[in-house]
Amino acid sequence: MTAIADPARPRRKIGKTDPIQKLAILIGVSLFAAAILAPVIVPFDPLGQSLLSRLRPPLGFERYSAGHFAGTDELGRDVLSRSLYGLRLTLGLAFAGALIGLLIGGTLGLVAGLRRGWVEDTIMALVDMQIAIPFTLVALLILSLMGSDLTVLVLVLGIAGWEQYARIVRAEVRRLTTLPFIEAAWTAGAGPIYTAWRHVLPNLVSPLVVQFTLALSNIVILESTLSFLGLGVQPPQPSLGSMVGLGRDYMPTAPWIVLVPAALIVALTFSVQIFGDWLRDRADVRLRDR
Amino acid sequence: MFRLMLTTALAALPLYASAQEITVGAANVSSYLDPGRDHSNVGSQFYYNSFDTLIDRDHSKLDPEWTPALATSWELIEPTVMELKLREGVTFHNGEEMTADDVVFSLNRMMQATFPPYVVRAKDRLANFPKAEKVDDYTVRIHAAREEPLWETLISLQQVMIIPEDYTKALTGDPDVAEDSDYEAFALAPVGTGPYRVAEFQPGEKLVWERFDDFWGEQAPLRRVNVVQISETASRMTALRTGEADIITNIAPDQLSLIERDPELKTAGSATALFHVMIMNQNHPKLEDPRIRQAMSLAIDRDALNEALWLGKAVVPSTHTMAEMGALHQPDLVTFEYDPERARALLDEAGYDGFEITFDTASSYYTNGLLAAQAITQMWADGGLNGKVVVSDTWTGGSPDLMARNWSNPMYFADPFGSFGVMWAPEGPSQSEGRFNTDEAYADSWERFRYSTDVETRKAAYRELMERVKEDPAVLPLYRPFESWGMKKSIDWAPMPGHIPYVLDFRAGNITVAGS
Repeated sequence: MTAIADPARPRRKIGKTDPIQKLAILIGVSLFAAAILAPVIVPFDPLGQSLLSRLRPPLGFERYSAGHFAGTDELGRDVLSRSLYGLRLTLGLAFAGALIGLLIGGTLGLVAGLRRGWVEDTIMALVDMQIAIPFTLVALLILSLMGSDLTVLVLVLGIAGWEQYARIVRAEVRRLTTLPFIEAAWTAGAGPIYTAWRHVLPNLVSPLVVQFTLALSNIVILESTLSFLGLGVQPPQPSLGSMVGLGRDYMPTAPWIVLVPAALIVALTFSVQIFGDWLRDRADVRLRDR
Repeated sequence: MFRLMLTTALAALPLYASAQEITVGAANVSSYLDPGRDHSNVGSQFYYNSFDTLIDRDHSKLDPEWTPALATSWELIEPTVMELKLREGVTFHNGEEMTADDVVFSLNRMMQATFPPYVVRAKDRLANFPKAEKVDDYTVRIHAAREEPLWETLISLQQVMIIPEDYTKALTGDPDVAEDSDYEAFALAPVGTGPYRVAEFQPGEKLVWERFDDFWGEQAPLRRVNVVQISETASRMTALRTGEADIITNIAPDQLSLIERDPELKTAGSATALFHVMIMNQNHPKLEDPRIRQAMSLAIDRDALNEALWLGKAVVPSTHTMAEMGALHQPDLVTFEYDPERARALLDEAGYDGFEITFDTASSYYTNGLLAAQAITQMWADGGLNGKVVVSDTWTGGSPDLMARNWSNPMYFADPFGSFGVMWAPEGPSQSEGRFNTDEAYADSWERFRYSTDVETRKAAYRELMERVKEDPAVLPLYRPFESWGMKKSIDWAPMPGHIPYVLDFRAGNITVAGS
């Protein structure tokens, strides 16, 4: 995901937000709010079982069990409460993962852009390797070897997308260092760390924010994939992916167990992606002249 | 008229052919096929179609009724020696004729085992039999070290099914010597005397049986059976509904309604002769106090698990006992109960400080295993215990860090020795994994239970063992799971009460396929 605008695509007027974008942002904000407020708003304990009212359908169907608006799962737990807690955990993991990726990728990209030579070659070789290897496979390998606790999972999600940050940062740094104000700083005797911190970093903020947003939805998908495969978040803790994974045996008989978290995954990645695009369009103001 | 008959016959032909060939979608296909070394729930599905024992039983009956198989008659000529007359004219699938040499070879490969996988099986169930010997081409004798109360039971085990001597020895290396590599090779190209020969075997994927025309007994009803591994429940269900499979195995009770709603399909099931159990590590530093383990056991409402997860179709036992054990079935003995108040009281007495107790489970190995694990830790929470489910597909039963986990105790043969006995004998698998301790008193009760020829003495000794398990628990039998098979309505098949769990018995009279 680079920040170069597609020339074939009609450029939107900056500052104007189309209805789809508005809708997506509205959905995104509600999902974030729901995730943050989950402990306050959920009607039931997400781990609380009720063995005698298992597999009850959502509101409006026969055998509906009062209060469980989205039905109950295979252990009689409230699907809505679990989904919101799952959303909270999934988003939390995605944020932590995207931040770790930003830190690793950003630092390495900055070093590569400033130091050049063998340092840059090594880092860029690592980037190429990361791009060449299908990361889901690597993640599966790490998780099956190290066991899947939350720390390992967060680290795996963190290294999932670092190479994109590294590429963006390196390219920007290379461009910036040819500009007069950096030259001026060098000449004035500024050291590399000072230059990086004072002059280069502030110019990287907006491409990084855009990349962060786009990475977020990829990490949501990766986390869901890993949890679906049983290697991510472990039961009884709910995450959106693990709910879909564990509920798939019930798809023909109790589809709501899968549909509710699956709908949340779709809504979340959709809105975050659109939001990222919207953000990128705005960031274009500064990037247009590249 | 003749023409009409001909066309009718022709039209019926493909139907007839397809009625003789079926496909089974199995949750698991073994990675090897050797009845001697195997005692898994996966393997037990397959052996009875391809191999015979010396003595068989009427599998349609719960109580043992011994029937001649490869031996036509048998008698004890001394209290510790059984002489068996062998059936003449029996051929192996490779064309060799079966003689006393093959029988002695098959038995002694177990009784005097040197191949490590055989040694384990010989030790846990055949330890009383030092050897078999040939008298003449159709007579063999089996020797026991001590008087044996379970002669027929133990001579009809899957582990002592008969395999060909010359074929096996010639598989690798020196054709006159039985090397370990011969047994390894046999497990991938098995040959027996049963009504179906293994025509094709891809470990873990596919097994094809073809009718063996020279079978000594009644001809097999099916010409060809394809067993295909389909691990995912949802995919197995789809295979059955699309007609890709005619029978599918291991259906959880939650899925039954889906099959039964389909007018073309039906299910057959039974409470399998096997316990899903919870095991607890007596030697974990935090669980050394038996009161904590008693509380872990008392806090579990097994009837609620049965009601919720098995729709009430499983069987919750009062002690480690099954109806299949005949005279030794002791349902009046109550050693496992649900009593959360008592659990709390015991925890107070023991000074339990709320430390976390892990319950390990594989994600999908046991039907409802993960669900039960989660429900159990919730029940523990209600009883004052702090439990946590740990999902891992590795076996943790031998780890010193094990606290509790799920396991199964199948009935390998119809006697308490064949279920509790195999797993919990002194020096047996549980003790050698370091999570179960026995002492002299236990070993003494064990001796009387295992070897006494008086049924009442055996029952009394077994009660002593059960009391020990109650006082210092290492195991809680949860229930006999209700296992189901789904199939087309045109197929008439059901698991039979006289078999060990999971046997797919497709012999004559035990399966019929309509369609001509």
